[in-house]
Amino acid sequence: MLRPERMRRLLIAAPKSEIDTIIRELYRHNVYHIEDFVPESSSEALSIGHPLSGASDAASALIKVRAIENACGIDPENVEVKTKLPTSKVREMIRTDLPVIQKEAEDLVGSRSRLETRQKEHEQRARELEPFTAVPLDLEFYRGYTRFTVFTGHITHDVEIDVPNEKYFSDKVAGNMIVVVVQNEHREQVERTLLDAGFQAIPVPEETGAPADRLKAHMEEARRIEDEIAGVNAKIAGIRERHTDFLVACDELLTADVERAEAPLRFATTEETFITEGWVPEDRADKILDALEKATNGRIYIEELEIEEDTSVPVEYENPSFASPTQMLMDVYARPRYSEIDPTLMVAIVFPIFFGMILGDVGYGAVLLALSLGLRKFLKGEGGRALLKVLSYASISSIVFGVLYSEFLGFSLPWEPLVFSRHLNIGGHAGGHGPQVVELMIIAIWIGILHITLGRVLGILNARRLYHGRHATRAVISHAGWLGVMWGILLIIWSFFPIPMMPDLTGFPVAIAAGVVLLVAGVIGIAQENALEVVELPTIVSHVLSYARLVAVGLSSVAIAMVVNYISIGMMIEPQLEAITPVGVILIIVGILVFLMGHVLNTALGLLGGGLHSIRLHYVEFFTKFYKGGGKKYNPFGMKSKFTEE
Amino acid sequence: MVDFGTAELTLEMIQASQAGMSAVGAGLAVGLTGVGTGLAEMGIGAAAVGATAENRDMFGLALLFTVIPETIVIFGLVVALLLLF
Repeated sequence: MLRPERMRRLLIAAPKSEIDTIIRELYRHNVYHIEDFVPESSSEALSIGHPLSGASDAASALIKVRAIENACGIDPENVEVKTKLPTSKVREMIRTDLPVIQKEAEDLVGSRSRLETRQKEHEQRARELEPFTAVPLDLEFYRGYTRFTVFTGHITHDVEIDVPNEKYFSDKVAGNMIVVVVQNEHREQVERTLLDAGFQAIPVPEETGAPADRLKAHMEEARRIEDEIAGVNAKIAGIRERHTDFLVACDELLTADVERAEAPLRFATTEETFITEGWVPEDRADKILDALEKATNGRIYIEELEIEEDTSVPVEYENPSFASPTQMLMDVYARPRYSEIDPTLMVAIVFPIFFGMILGDVGYGAVLLALSLGLRKFLKGEGGRALLKVLSYASISSIVFGVLYSEFLGFSLPWEPLVFSRHLNIGGHAGGHGPQVVELMIIAIWIGILHITLGRVLGILNARRLYHGRHATRAVISHAGWLGVMWGILLIIWSFFPIPMMPDLTGFPVAIAAGVVLLVAGVIGIAQENALEVVELPTIVSHVLSYARLVAVGLSSVAIAMVVNYISIGMMIEPQLEAITPVGVILIIVGILVFLMGHVLNTALGLLGGGLHSIRLHYVEFFTKFYKGGGKKYNPFGMKSKFTEE
Repeated sequence: MVDFGTAELTLEMIQASQAGMSAVGAGLAVGLTGVGTGLAEMGIGAAAVGATAENRDMFGLALLFTVIPETIVIFGLVVALLLLF
């Protein structure tokens, strides 16, 4: 909690004869993060290892499986686990069943693409024939003359030809159609006349018979092929139906095989031995050490190395289970470094509160809660699940704040707001004392002051963990300086202006003095680390005021909700209910539509506004005060098997 | 006869006019800051979409970058709310 999981750095060395056993054991435990071996030019004694035997077989089988999955549209991420297949059975089936399935899938995909090509061909022919249907000539009459020239093409308008000719013109097809037959000696003259009228030649299709009949034949053929394609698609769907379980199990098993077989590429080897370096979480280290010892009968050497640099340590979160979905929001920004404070827990608590403050409405909260629970069926990926969890916490908080604010889709609940009111005076039923904007705003500013103060205090703690010696002291003093400037400004403001719900220091000249001293000392504290940072001083004010969005964004969402209610109910539905007329019924229906559309839109806006602004307050205003980030992801060698079992 | 040119302003008229002026001010505060935010988000949004097209993982961060200038309009909204209430 509040810091990443503790790691131990291990060096494992063993004779090459044990490499298979050790890789198998490491993979099974799924805790060892391999540090890839990078050969240095200076030491020639160590070189990268060779893949185990069977690597290329497994890899090529895996490619086959992936190709079938691709063709059938199977995504292992989104496949529900029904039964776990035993690995021995899967291996047997890879030998016997896989080639059959592969052949079947390949044939089907091949014939589908052939059919698609043919369908395209027929459609192309039909398109070419279309202009000729406007001319009452069979296709063979366009060809085979020695003394005549035939012009066929699109033209902008009909033209007069002043030499002996036979001409057909039609404006029934797009771009018009003209056919002119003239003697060869008039060819150039006629061509000029036609080109002046915007003539575009089109070739005569190589077919015989009436164009309309041919067109129909091609269209029918294309339709027939489409039915065939549908049939093939149904067969492919059949493969998916029957073999999904087996294919995803194959995928998993072969992926594991390939990873295991290629592991030596990440090890250093000598002639007879191999060496690997890696990381293991502290609480699981002893178990894997024992297991390795036992599996190799002691033919292994393990040494624990010292952790030298904190950026090289892989980072795994260690949080209570309710906070773990929030890790996803942390990863979007950056994973914490090994030795710094992990703020996931704070984000997990504060983010829903901010969200609720912004979107405090029982109705919207309930809709979002239902949405986040309902979407669980469709989103099976890990990131999506985590996001939905975070959303469900946020919407519960939104419901709680909705009860406090007494809001339901912009209407007020049957009680007065338990905290400050956000009810605006919109619409005919406006009453009460209106929104308590100033009070809410001051609360938001207070939250900002405290949140930023917390950030700076964490900054002081982090500085002592991340830096050493003089650098650490300077960083600590600078963070304290920022705190001093902020509170100094606050003291000075408080001693000049009495502000409700904030300390009133107008009668105490001492406070001014204290404020000025804090301010000056703070500026000096900041400048001693880096004088340039003094230009950043205005951010103190802007960051604190930025928390006013907690109220402003929320009020704008309340305003939209109330306006929607007023337009749909106050202006459209209620006046019609007094005396129902046919027009009135239509207006009522339109009113209901406006109501639904408006609230759907406002739910989306509320989700976006509430979510983005809350997380932004963390990323921009909170994290910049203390958080470095940039830790490597802990990625243990191994796999949690989903579809197979030993 | 009423002389329109030199009609005296009553206290109510002045108050009503001031209330109107503060409403105009509130509108300007939201509107102009909205334009400012829009201008700022224009460039960021275009770059963010480009980055997301290159790499889907950028989406979260890109969305975040895009809403950073939202602060400007929020300040406008805060000023407007304080003017109105």
